[in-house]
Amino acid sequence: MAILELHDVSKHFGDKSVLNGLDFSVPEGSIFGFVGENGVGKTTTMKMILGLETIYSGSILIDEKQVHYGDSIANKVVGYLPDVPEYYGYMTPIEYLTLCGRITGMDSGLLKTRINEMLKTVDLPIDKHRIHGFSRGMKQRLGIAQALLNEPKLLICDEPTSALDPIGRSEFLNLLASLRGKTTIVFSTHILTDVERIADRVGILHDGVLKANDSLANLKQQFAKPQIVLTFASKDDATQAGIVLGNNIQIADKKVILNYTGKFETVAEVILSSLLKEHLIPTSMNGQDTTLEDIFMEVTTS
Amino acid sequence: MISTWYFIRKEVMEAWRNYHILMITIVFVIFGISSPLFAKLTPEILKMASGSGMTIKMPDPTSVDSWQQYFKNIIQIGIYVLTVIFSSTISNEISRGTLVNLVAKGLPRYAIVLSKYIVAYAQWCLAVLIAFLISWGYTLYYFPDSKSPNVWTGVWPLLVFGLMFVAVTVFGSTLGKSNYLGFLASVIVFIILTLLNLFKDIKKYNPIALVTDNMSLVKGTENISHIMPAIWITIVLALVTVYLSVLVLKQKKL
Repeated sequence: MAILELHDVSKHFGDKSVLNGLDFSVPEGSIFGFVGENGVGKTTTMKMILGLETIYSGSILIDEKQVHYGDSIANKVVGYLPDVPEYYGYMTPIEYLTLCGRITGMDSGLLKTRINEMLKTVDLPIDKHRIHGFSRGMKQRLGIAQALLNEPKLLICDEPTSALDPIGRSEFLNLLASLRGKTTIVFSTHILTDVERIADRVGILHDGVLKANDSLANLKQQFAKPQIVLTFASKDDATQAGIVLGNNIQIADKKVILNYTGKFETVAEVILSSLLKEHLIPTSMNGQDTTLEDIFMEVTTS
Repeated sequence: MISTWYFIRKEVMEAWRNYHILMITIVFVIFGISSPLFAKLTPEILKMASGSGMTIKMPDPTSVDSWQQYFKNIIQIGIYVLTVIFSSTISNEISRGTLVNLVAKGLPRYAIVLSKYIVAYAQWCLAVLIAFLISWGYTLYYFPDSKSPNVWTGVWPLLVFGLMFVAVTVFGSTLGKSNYLGFLASVIVFIILTLLNLFKDIKKYNPIALVTDNMSLVKGTENISHIMPAIWITIVLALVTVYLSVLVLKQKKL
């Protein structure tokens, strides 16, 4: 069952059309990676899902309830983590989370327990330190705590890892992965390896429509483009090798990149014998699987 | 409505921790002390300023002078101090993006406007009443006369005027991200109302009467019924302005 459904959603900013009939759904319990170039409309889509942005046409359903701009009914089952969360610096994390919890209608007894749990989860001190003294990473962690406070059915994260250092990013991704099956997660990012690491499904937004929306495995099958990368000692050797290996290759400095189909070992054997015949010996040879970046490039440039 | 209550508590905490309440208290305590004190000392100051060669005959100051000084301080300086403090109440939250999380959690936008309005108005009342009570005490001490029999009747139109003036400031701060829009809106409205007072026929309907006729009310030379139409119009305008603020904020991109 889908917890989030977008039906033919369009959005214009003045004369500029941002989204044209966006249509997709996110199954309950899944982690949905939402990728696209800068300014393509990812944040706008997320804000429309949250009722923070008007919808030009179409409809959005969360847990079978329609989202209306400015409406708060659907929002109570949704957690939101903006890319740069802003807080009231004069509050302590406990006071801020208490305000958030009360607005979402949480029971005060449960709220106290959840606040302690969440602060421990995100490793923030349970004391009277005020938020204005927090680092960016600490603010991001508080953002996670507030987003997950009411155990939302749907968690929306807008470029959540952009402000985190590598360790913080890894911890955050582990935290998201640990929610798999319990909370449906939609997260946008530019870091495609993050999506590859934890997402079950990937949506690629381009030119206002979702150009691809499937599981990563299916997308890899659909856009499969395995490559062999050969590295040579000199640029001249690489150019020579390029002539020997013929079409369907790219030469980049000392590297020769070949697209292939079929079994790696068979193709590698043919390539190596052709090169040895011409006394060209590569310093390295690697087989590369299709990455999300390859799929992204394929989808957005086709 | 429960969200409004939670947001009111947040607003009170903000006013306290950002030292708004402290600033208001200090400024208006000074007004409260200085109003009767200036009335008492003005003849002495003028005598000293005139030098030894001249003799200025001044009537003895009375409680009327003290209250005149009080209303002058509040209307010419006090309300603008308050307006500057409230000027960025909503615009600051929009420009910083602090409302996004809370609205995404289900905080209705009307609750934001209502809470900010209620807490700002409470601070207005606090300011006016602190200065009033101190001024009252000192006026009774310095000028134990019976020339100002209706001091309460004179001060409460000022509280009613605050209903509209605070609403205008809040409305101004919903219009954009600039922290000065609230202040600007209040100043513009004050100027317009002052200009409207030039027309005799509409004087008694003009909200500005609530801050210009106070001394007549204090002395008892004018009855409150005289400015009753202005009071009702002020209340209606306050409600309309708050409603407009909600409408504007509903359309605002957070």
